Amino acid sequence: MPRPDGFEGLRARIQSLIRGLRRRDDVESEIREEFEHHIAMRAEHLQRQGLGAGEATRQARIEFGHQDSHREDARQSRGLRLFDQARFSWLDVKLGLRMLVRHPLLSLAAIFALAIGIPVGIAPAHVAAALEAPLPGDPQHRIRAIRNWDPLAANVHATRYEEFEFYARELKSFSALAAFRTSSYSVASDDGRAAPVAGTEISADGFSILRTPPLLGRTLAPSDGDYGAPEVAVLGYDFWRSRFGADPDIVGRAIRVGRTVRTVVGVMPDGFRFPSNEQLWLPLTSEATGSVGSQTSVRIVGRLADEVSAEQAQAELTAIGLPPLAVPTEGRLRLRPEVVSFGLLYMGLPRGGLDTMVEYRLVQMMMLAILLVACGNVAMLVFARTVTRFREMVIRTALGASRSRIVTQVFVETLVLAVVAAGAGVLAIDWLIRHVNIAAFVSEAALPYWLSLGVTGTAMVQAVLLAAVCATMAGVVPAIRITGRAARASVRSEPMARFGGLTSALVVGDIAVAVAAVGLSVAMVGQATHFRENDEAAGIAAAEFLAAEFRLPDDGLMTAAGPDQARFAERLATTQRELVAALSAEPGVTGVAIADALPRMDQRARPFEVEGAERTANGHTRWVSTIRIDVGFLAGLGRSVVSGRDLTAADVEGNRPVVMVNTPFAEREFPGENPLGRRIAFPTPDDGDAPVWHEIVGVVPHLGISMINPQRGAAVYLPAQQGAINPMQVAIHAGTAPDRLVARLPALVRSVDPSLVMGAPVLLSELRQGDWYQVMGIAGGLAVLVGVLVTLAASGLYAMLSLAVSERTREIGIRSALGAPARSLVMIILRRALIQISLGALLGLPFAARFVFELGEGPDGGASPALSVVWAAGLAGLVVLAVSLISFLVPTRQVLAIGASEAMRAEG
Amino acid sequence: MSRQADLPPGTLDLMILKAVSLGHVHGYGVLLRIEAISGGAILVQQGALYPALYRLEHQGLLSSEWGTSENNRRAKYYQLTPLGRRQFGEHKASWRRLTDAVALSLAATPQEV
Repeated sequence: MPRPDGFEGLRARIQSLIRGLRRRDDVESEIREEFEHHIAMRAEHLQRQGLGAGEATRQARIEFGHQDSHREDARQSRGLRLFDQARFSWLDVKLGLRMLVRHPLLSLAAIFALAIGIPVGIAPAHVAAALEAPLPGDPQHRIRAIRNWDPLAANVHATRYEEFEFYARELKSFSALAAFRTSSYSVASDDGRAAPVAGTEISADGFSILRTPPLLGRTLAPSDGDYGAPEVAVLGYDFWRSRFGADPDIVGRAIRVGRTVRTVVGVMPDGFRFPSNEQLWLPLTSEATGSVGSQTSVRIVGRLADEVSAEQAQAELTAIGLPPLAVPTEGRLRLRPEVVSFGLLYMGLPRGGLDTMVEYRLVQMMMLAILLVACGNVAMLVFARTVTRFREMVIRTALGASRSRIVTQVFVETLVLAVVAAGAGVLAIDWLIRHVNIAAFVSEAALPYWLSLGVTGTAMVQAVLLAAVCATMAGVVPAIRITGRAARASVRSEPMARFGGLTSALVVGDIAVAVAAVGLSVAMVGQATHFRENDEAAGIAAAEFLAAEFRLPDDGLMTAAGPDQARFAERLATTQRELVAALSAEPGVTGVAIADALPRMDQRARPFEVEGAERTANGHTRWVSTIRIDVGFLAGLGRSVVSGRDLTAADVEGNRPVVMVNTPFAEREFPGENPLGRRIAFPTPDDGDAPVWHEIVGVVPHLGISMINPQRGAAVYLPAQQGAINPMQVAIHAGTAPDRLVARLPALVRSVDPSLVMGAPVLLSELRQGDWYQVMGIAGGLAVLVGVLVTLAASGLYAMLSLAVSERTREIGIRSALGAPARSLVMIILRRALIQISLGALLGLPFAARFVFELGEGPDGGASPALSVVWAAGLAGLVVLAVSLISFLVPTRQVLAIGASEAMRAEG
Repeated sequence: MSRQADLPPGTLDLMILKAVSLGHVHGYGVLLRIEAISGGAILVQQGALYPALYRLEHQGLLSSEWGTSENNRRAKYYQLTPLGRRQFGEHKASWRRLTDAVALSLAATPQEV
C-alpha cells in the first residue's frame, strides 16, 4: 500500500519521528509492553486450548519470534533506523583520537588548516558582537548612548551641551542622562611633580548611570557640580598606583589639576576606565556654574528607564526630533538623533553595527571562503586517511556493517579532528589577544576598557558549530565515496579507492595559490621596506629628521567657554613660539616643522566638495586627508611649493580662507587644469546657509601621505594659528646625526615649559603609519596562508604517494628484481605528483610575477618584467622544494627499500 | 492446496486497516480479527504485525491510546484516523477493481479471446 502523500501525512510522519527521537526510552518501553501484552494474550488463548500455563507461555514466545528483531523492524517502520545508525558512541570518539595519533602528519596539516580557518570564520561576528556588547557592570544592557548621525557623511556629528540639557529635560525613556567630555590634564601632587593624564568631565548623574562602586572613598555625586561646591576629583586605579604609590590614605588629599586644587574623593577599581582609557574624573559643570557652554561638544550616555526597551527609547527620540538650538544651521536638519550601544557611539559605527556595512559583509564572505578552502583541503586529507583503512571497510561491509554506520564513524573521526583544531585555534587567538597589543595596530595605546575581544562562551559554541559543519563537509563526502567503493569491493574484487580528479585539482590549486601568495607577500614586504627605508620616497630626507609629539595638557580649557579658552590658546601659542626658537637654536638644527600630522603619519580625513563641481549623484561624500600646519611647515621640511605660493602669517590671520593641496589631489580633482584659484570646502552640519570656501593658493609635492601608493595620497593643507594645534607633531631637521639631539630634548623642553609633555622622539624615517601595519599584516597573513597551503598540499601528496607505494609494492619489487634502476622505480610513484606540483607552480607563476612587478620596487623603481619573472620563479621554486621535501622523502625511502621479499609478501 | 491463503505483498496493511475499522482494537485483537473475518483463511505472522501497525501509525493512518484489555493488562488500542479512513476507502475500492479484473480474467474462455 503506497504511503499517503500530502501535508497531513507529512505532518504525521514528522510528529512521529520527533516523538521517537525525543522520547526514545518511552517509545522503547511501550514497544516492549505491547509485545508482552501480545504474548500474554496468546498464552491465555493457548491455555484455553488446553496447554499448561508454562507451556502456553513458552509456546506463545516461540510463535511471537525474536523480540529484538521485531523491535528493530518496529523502529525502522517509524523511520528511526537512520538515526539509530547515525548515533555515535564514545568508542567512535576514541577511534577519532587514535586516528589523530596514527597519522600525525595528516592530522597536523588538517588541524593547522582548520585551526586557522575556524577562528577566521567566526572572527567577524565575534568582533561585531564585541563592539555592541554592554559596558562592564551592565549585564542587562541598560546603558545606551544618544548621538547625532550624519547620513550624508556617514559619521557621528558632535552633540552640544544644550542638546544634552534638552534631552535630559524631555526624554522619559531614560531614568538618567549624563554628558561627558574627555581631555588631557596636568596633575601635580604634593611634591610639585606634574604629569599628564587622560581624564573625563562627567555631569551629575554619570556615576549613578555607570553604577560601578569605587575601590576607595566615593564616586562623584550630583552636588559636586553645584555652584560653589568644593573642587573634587576621582582617580583611576592605574593612575593611583603609578602616581600616588597606591596610597591607601589618598582620599582627602589635595592634588592640583591644571590650575585648580582638588580634593581626591575616591579611587575607582582596576579595569574601570570610562569612557575609554581615562584615569581621572571631574564634575562637568554647566554654563551657569562653570566649565561648559551651550555650544560645547559633549557626548551623552544614559540609563534606560525600567521596562523601556532601546527601541521604545529610539521611538521617543525620533518623535521628539532634533532639539531647538540657540544657533540653528541648515545642515543640522539632516542629522538623525539615535539611541545606540555605547560601543557604536565610541567607534562611530552606523546604527545596526558592522552588520550594516558592505565592507564588513565582504570581509565576512572572504573569511568564509578561506574556511571553505580549508575544509576542501581537509576533505582531501580525510580521504587520504580513510583510504588507508579501505580493506577494513571492505571487511566490515562484508560482515554487514551498514554504509551509514561507517560514514557516521568517519564523520565522528573528522569531527574530533575539527573540534581539536577549533579548540587549538580559538585558544591560540585568545593567547594572542592577551599577549599582543592589538591597540598598536590602530595606533592606540590600549583598547577601550569595554571592548573585550577575548574568547567568550558564544565564540566557543560558534567554533564548535563551525567545526561540525567542517566535519560534515570534510568527513561525510570522502566517507560516502570510499564506502561506496568498499561496498562494491566486498561483492567483487575491486581495486582500492583512488585519489580522483578533485584531489589532484586541490593539490594543483593549493600550490598555485601558494606560489601567487608568496609572490604577493614578498612583494608587499619589499614595497613596505623599500618605502620606509627610502628617504626620498616622500621627497623628504626622512632619516635626517626627528619626529616628536608635544602636548600641553589643556585641563579641559581647549573647549571651555569664555576667556579661559583664549588664555590657554595664548599660552599654547607662546609655548609653541618658544619651543621653535629653542629647537632652532640647537646646533645642527636647520628647520622645524609643526603640524597636527607629519609625513608618514595617519592624517585626519574630512569630507570635501569642489566649488562648481557637482556632488556625486548617489550622494556619497568624497573624503580627503587634511593636515593643519603651522606657517613655515614646508620650509621646515626643506621643501617648497610646486606652483603658487606657501601659506603665510597673513593667511592665518586674514578673513580669506586659503589652503594648499598636494600634487595627487590636484591631478585627481583638476586633471589638466590649473588648481590655483579654485575653491574647496569641508561642509559640516554646523555650517550656515553656505559652506566655507577655501581658495587653493599653492600646490605642494606629495609628502608621504600614502604608504601604499604615493600617487593616491591626496591631501589638503590648512593653515593653523599658533596655539591651535595640540598635541603638536614636530619634525626637527637635525642633519646627518639627529640622534645627538635626542639626549638634549628633555632638558630643552623643560626650559620651555615644565608642563609640556613630549612623546618619545623617533626618526621620521622610522615612523610607521597605519598603512604600514596594514601592509605588514596582510603580508603576514599571506605568509601564514602559504604555510597552510604548502602543508596541506604536501600532506595530501604524501598520503597519495604512500598509498601508491603500498598498492604497487609488488610491481616495484618485481621491477627491482629485474634490475630496474632506482631512479625509474622512484619515478613510477612520483611521476604524477611531480606533474601536479609543476602544474600548480606554473599556474601560480604569472600571478606571482605580476605582483612582484607591480609592487616589488614601486612605480618608478625600474623593476623589469624579466627580473620579476626570475624573482617569481625563485619563489615558486622554494614552494615546490618545500612541498616536494615534505611529501617525497618518506615514500621515496619506502620505494628504495622494497625488495623481492616485500613484493612476495604484498602478493599474499 | 491449503485452506490458508498467502497474503500478496501490500495486502497486510489493507487487512489491518479493515480490522481496525471495525472498532478500536489492540495488536493481538487485530490478529484474531483478521483471522475471524477471513474465515481462518488468513493467518498473519505475529512478527510482521507490529512493524505494519507502527508503520501505519507513523504514516498517520492509525492513532493509538493505552487502555485496559480483557485480561486486565495495559494494552495499546488502535483506531483509524480521518486520514486512515479516507485511505482505507480509496484502497478498498482499488482492491475491488483489481480483484474483479483478476477474477474476470481468470474466468475468461477461449471463445472470449
